[in-house]
Amino acid sequence: MSREVHTLAPDEFLDEVHSFEFWFHSIQGYLADAEYGHRPGTPESELPPDRRERLITVLCNYCIGETAALDGASGLIGFAPNRQAKIFLATQVVDEARHLEVLIHRLAELGVKDPEAEIQRRATRSLQAFRRRLLELVAGKDWEAGIFAQNVILEAMEFAAFQTHARNADPITRELLEGIIKDERRHMGFGENDLGRRLSATPHVRARLQQIKRELDPLVLETFEEMLAELDVPREERPELGRNYLETVERLGFTS
Amino acid sequence: MNDTVLREAENESGKPRQRFILEDTGFNEVPKKYRRFYRRQTGPGDTLAPNEVICPVCKVVIRSTRELREGDRVYCMPCMSRLVVVRTDSGHLEAHVVY
Repeated sequence: MSREVHTLAPDEFLDEVHSFEFWFHSIQGYLADAEYGHRPGTPESELPPDRRERLITVLCNYCIGETAALDGASGLIGFAPNRQAKIFLATQVVDEARHLEVLIHRLAELGVKDPEAEIQRRATRSLQAFRRRLLELVAGKDWEAGIFAQNVILEAMEFAAFQTHARNADPITRELLEGIIKDERRHMGFGENDLGRRLSATPHVRARLQQIKRELDPLVLETFEEMLAELDVPREERPELGRNYLETVERLGFTS
Repeated sequence: MNDTVLREAENESGKPRQRFILEDTGFNEVPKKYRRFYRRQTGPGDTLAPNEVICPVCKVVIRSTRELREGDRVYCMPCMSRLVVVRTDSGHLEAHVVY
């Protein structure tokens, strides 16, 4: 029987969860038997043409988000402030690459002949703009802004969108999204906790991040709206989906 | 989810804490040795046991081998958060993130 996890010392806990070893044994639990993100025996559904088209549009935009996260996480490693953050981000890079791969594979399963071209054709303006701004922040080696944009804002948006989508998706897409959501918990948690520690130590950083939040919020909301419309989520349920993001930024002390 | 109550022990501030044997709930997002400390919420009818709190960051249910009380420290491994148990105005226990 293992030791009670909650008796670990704080430093012991952080060392444990930021290790490659922890990541490896975590993903084995839910990916060991999967092929391209889903169980091999999961049946393919016959989707009506309109629903299939809209699913392709949504998956193409998920690919944009995951590509942004892949580029962002790999860029952040170079100027991460410590070993724990570098190792964690290395595991995140692998996660994001896997997400991109399984989403592209799903597009091919849905009959998309040239997924790369289709992704560019169907990408929304707001998500493309978000991606460009995120990569500018990373290129500027701004750790707090990069982590905020990527691991707090982008990850919280993806977490909410994927959870909503998974509830109403066909079985293969659902399994694929559920696997991604499990990875996203780590990414989101890393972002909030790293930034929370930094803001506690250097509260003056908050004003700069508040400005970035003001700049990115409209793009996040527009992306949400576009995706949720494609997913047929009723308008009255949409504010609920942004709640996770709002709760996260409130915990970090940001205002709307 | 009700775990087996192991014994009533640990006399802290006069009132003993219940102890629990944690069962595996099928939670598979952390290494095997830590899985029994977490479970997924099962929906609106899901009630928390005295040894459980919800992680506000990732919404997983965190479990302990002992009854939780205000001021206890707990960890959410699925999202890597450190948390402290607080009592709300309504008298419920909930977890708050400690950065």
